[in-house]
Amino acid sequence: MPKATLGGIEIEIDEDGFIQEPEKWSKEVAEDLAKIEEAYPMGEDHWKVVNYLRDYYLKYEIAPPIRMLVKQTGMDLKKIYQLFPSGPAKGACKVAGLPKPTGCV
Amino acid sequence: MKRIKVSDISKNNEEQLLHIKEEELMQLPYIGEAENKGEPVKPLTEKQQAGFEHSLDGVSACTIPKPKDKEEEERFVRSFLEGLKKLISEKDNWTFLQQLLLSLDSCAKCQTCNDACSIYLGSGKQDIYRPTYRSEVLRRIVNKYIKKGGKIFAKLTGSDVDLNWATIARLAELAYRCTMCRRCAASCPLGCDNGLITHELRKLFSEEMGIAAKELHDLGTVQQLKVGASTGITPPAFKDIVQFMEEEIEEKTGKKIKIPVDKKGADILLIHNSGEYLSWLENPEAFAIIFEEAGISWTLSSELYGYEGTNYGVWYDDIQFSRVALKHIEIARKLNVKKIVVGECGHATKALVVIADRILVDDMNFPRESALPLLYDLVCNGKLKLDPTRNNFPVTLHDPCNMVRLMGIVEPQREVLRKICPDFREMEPHGVDNYCCGGGSGFAIMQSMNFPDWRSAVSGRMKMKQILEAFSDVISPEHKKYVCAPCSNCKGQIRELFNYYNVNEKYGIYYGGLVELIVNAMVDIEKPFIEWDWH
Repeated sequence: MPKATLGGIEIEIDEDGFIQEPEKWSKEVAEDLAKIEEAYPMGEDHWKVVNYLRDYYLKYEIAPPIRMLVKQTGMDLKKIYQLFPSGPAKGACKVAGLPKPTGCV
Repeated sequence: MKRIKVSDISKNNEEQLLHIKEEELMQLPYIGEAENKGEPVKPLTEKQQAGFEHSLDGVSACTIPKPKDKEEEERFVRSFLEGLKKLISEKDNWTFLQQLLLSLDSCAKCQTCNDACSIYLGSGKQDIYRPTYRSEVLRRIVNKYIKKGGKIFAKLTGSDVDLNWATIARLAELAYRCTMCRRCAASCPLGCDNGLITHELRKLFSEEMGIAAKELHDLGTVQQLKVGASTGITPPAFKDIVQFMEEEIEEKTGKKIKIPVDKKGADILLIHNSGEYLSWLENPEAFAIIFEEAGISWTLSSELYGYEGTNYGVWYDDIQFSRVALKHIEIARKLNVKKIVVGECGHATKALVVIADRILVDDMNFPRESALPLLYDLVCNGKLKLDPTRNNFPVTLHDPCNMVRLMGIVEPQREVLRKICPDFREMEPHGVDNYCCGGGSGFAIMQSMNFPDWRSAVSGRMKMKQILEAFSDVISPEHKKYVCAPCSNCKGQIRELFNYYNVNEKYGIYYGGLVELIVNAMVDIEKPFIEWDWH
């Protein structure tokens, strides 16, 4: 597994840049990931999405359904794409330190 | 255009056999070069090129690492030959041996099947994508290296292929350039099945050499058998999602529904592809609304394996396939339901309803069916109150290969659309002659390096053409249009295609399943169920 320096520490990442050591995630790591994802600088709305994803992940070990994300953050998908140009799964989840989505999603 | 011979596959160097160029690809209506953002398939980075096999067409689907030394190269060849011997032995290949041998022996090389292949046509007729190219490579290897006197015979006939590391690595990648839609098999005058040969090759690579697309194996069946679903949904997450579905249904339709979960003795255990719960939650919601309205006795399962219909094993590995299929049956037996009904997912339906017959013998058998005939019954026999004028927009239908060409479920979904969509129009060709969405056999979920580009630029190109042509009279974006694709995998691929060619924004084309259209037509729901938001 390749490593990258994010937020000042070395973290294992997969070939698409998703961090493989979720426990090492921090705000600084998120900001460095946001730079890669063209989601920098991160404003209040970015953090709202990232924090929601992060909290859901810590509870259920998976990303929430897209409809749930939209509803709970009060932002429609267009807005989420504006914040994270690669979209909720490949962009926002990556910044929130979640593993890459798998299965037929 | 450069012709590529069958024997070129064994050029033992890193030279790429094919460079995909925009100007050689099949022409698309409405899509100019501007939409295609330069190169159709972006080249691998230098680092990726140094690390992974890409000498077939510059694409890496299976992330096959380059060999470190001569010894590793030789081990690779030996392992392939071992696997090949098993593949053609009765003792080791008990699932598809007869079809494999007949297809290897009977091909008359008439090449009729080539023009049936959406990948070959989409690529602008590149030789390596001919359905017969891959099969001929395998045939020559079997004849030369397995049959008695084969080496001399190969020299005499000139039908030679050398077995070396590059041949095998390119062949492994080539096994992931066919969606196994088996349109070629349907067109063959002799009944040879080049799609099955792809399947058998993938099986050899996975079962013997540990080579498979990681989205299908490591992140697919392995994850499913470990945590319960290839999406990673756990039972607590599933229960949370069901609760959210109930809230959403009430908000959207005013209906207070208690979605039955783990209800013992129900008539039907409904299993969806679990990707629906994450990406297209409105689909399982619509199923719940319809089933409740029709008074069906049904349940979902929240047990490990019970809420995930996928069985990626059907695409690449008989052993993984069997493990997953047995889990599905176990859940249904435990719940004491009368039958399993699979939601809108093509491969899951074919895997469980048809292919699983090969392992569910005697008293292991269990009734299983697709949801489409049941939906036909509910809609066409008046069990729901529907107003077709609510679906007053252009609708076309994509035929998922697994359910339509490969299972014969052709009419139920069309009958439904004829009944509830006044502006339903067919794509051409359709039904059992349909073209694959280009995401079949797992392509829709494979994300390795530049593979997604290839999937949209080449394998899905024909479907993009068909969709655009079906709507040519209403192509401007103010007409909202709906591609009905009753299959999770096809929906994923269609979403990626629409993003790649930017057709949602530019031409107002949306996509979704069948049940959403049914609920959208229900008379007692005030607000439209279809929201026309892009996701």
